[in-house]
Amino acid sequence: MASFVPTSADTIEDQRLYTSARLVEVACLDCLARVGVKKNSDHHTSIQWSAEARAHCPELSRRTGARDVKDGCPRLHASIDDAARNGRIPIGAEDGY
Amino acid sequence: MSDTTTSVRALDHGSPPERFARGWHCIGLADTFRDGRPHGIEAFGGKIVVWADTQGEINVLDGYCRHMGGDLAQGEVKGDEIACPFHDWRWGGDGKCKAIPYARRVPLRARTQRYETAIVNDQLLIWHDVEGSPADYDILPPQLVGLDEGKYTDWVWVAEEIEGSHCRELIDNVVDMAHFYYVHFAFPTSFQNVFEGHLATQFMESKGRPDKTGGYGDAELFLKSEATYYGPSYMINWLDTDYKGFNTEVVLVNCHVPTGPNSFRLQYGITVKKPEGLDDKTTDFIAQKYAEMFGSGFLQDVHIWKNKVPVQNPLLCEEDGPVYQLRRWYEQFYVDRADIAPEMVDRFEFEVDTTKANEYWQEEVADNLRKKAEDDAAAEASAGAEPSIMTGT
Repeated sequence: MASFVPTSADTIEDQRLYTSARLVEVACLDCLARVGVKKNSDHHTSIQWSAEARAHCPELSRRTGARDVKDGCPRLHASIDDAARNGRIPIGAEDGY
Repeated sequence: MSDTTTSVRALDHGSPPERFARGWHCIGLADTFRDGRPHGIEAFGGKIVVWADTQGEINVLDGYCRHMGGDLAQGEVKGDEIACPFHDWRWGGDGKCKAIPYARRVPLRARTQRYETAIVNDQLLIWHDVEGSPADYDILPPQLVGLDEGKYTDWVWVAEEIEGSHCRELIDNVVDMAHFYYVHFAFPTSFQNVFEGHLATQFMESKGRPDKTGGYGDAELFLKSEATYYGPSYMINWLDTDYKGFNTEVVLVNCHVPTGPNSFRLQYGITVKKPEGLDDKTTDFIAQKYAEMFGSGFLQDVHIWKNKVPVQNPLLCEEDGPVYQLRRWYEQFYVDRADIAPEMVDRFEFEVDTTKANEYWQEEVADNLRKKAEDDAAAEASAGAEPSIMTGT
């Protein structure tokens, strides 16, 4: 049972648009992780991990401290930058999502 | 399918959840419960009673006696137990009735609801789960390094009752980049979020607006902020502040307890790492000043919350943070454990592009400062040759 129940079907579609539409799969160049990426602009990046991808990332797996979450994996970020440079990630938003 | 460019956008208010979040909830500084008296606290749609036993151990039970419903918070601490004011039934911290002074024996079924407790950062946390699971001590918020060693000031602790808002409004702030400019008078120059498991973090660097005072408005105030929710209700915010070149490490704890379906008690605590070479009085003063600043910041939020409507379908622009993903994360605390979907807890990273926003905001601030200078000049001119009065107050 969902807790905050939307009362309109359009809201379900909004949830899809904002959370999963336009995600492009990017494979890490250094490990087996594959994540979903969206870039609304050069400076904006949205990265959706899965449990499987997370288990593959040796960098994040090494981190255990309470405040270790901040920086993402530099190798994955470099892989995303590379994919963006090579035009594999479309850059730009579509009506805010 | 409606035409998206001509149809009017409707607000979906949704329906609020019928339960309260699963997780650890802070109910105040632990020492405030060690005065030998019972304390009644509204929480989770009811009332709980909190007291310390003869060893100083703090106990938390449902607030109403299972005999005839007496309010235990109006009773007395007798030995290790809480005694009901109605018929003196004595309840132990383990939830069992230990004695009924006028009875031959205590009914075997005399057991009430108890809440498991933990003390972290001098604060009392209690575990709440409508499914009745045992407390998960692995997901407690972390103890601040150096707090027990006296490296921080005493907590400045404030509680504020919020009526007419669901506590998710408070959670939404984690991703709300732009409100820091409009509500709190700061320019966020860098803004990121990471959600994973039961943690949701915001990283922000900001500077104060020179055209505003109050809130974080002050051209000479730079903040580097790292704020993590450890579960649904307890956030630790590490703030490296730079005010006129003077650096201070401030820790803000922002936590809440839901009191009803549409109300909660907001609590915040401030402590400051004692800088080398400053006496305690000066450091306490700094902590008090930061407490006032963040306190006024919360009041700015509260004013918005009290007057807004709930929105399940916020309409976002490119410069907004990941509201939908944050709410998806928050949902994990409102469903049965068995119903937690992978995407609620999977790692998610988001970096907001603040460049455009900051360009527009710099212009707006420059405009405001220019107007203010003109107004000041006009006011001075109309005051004529009258000397300005220095009241000193």
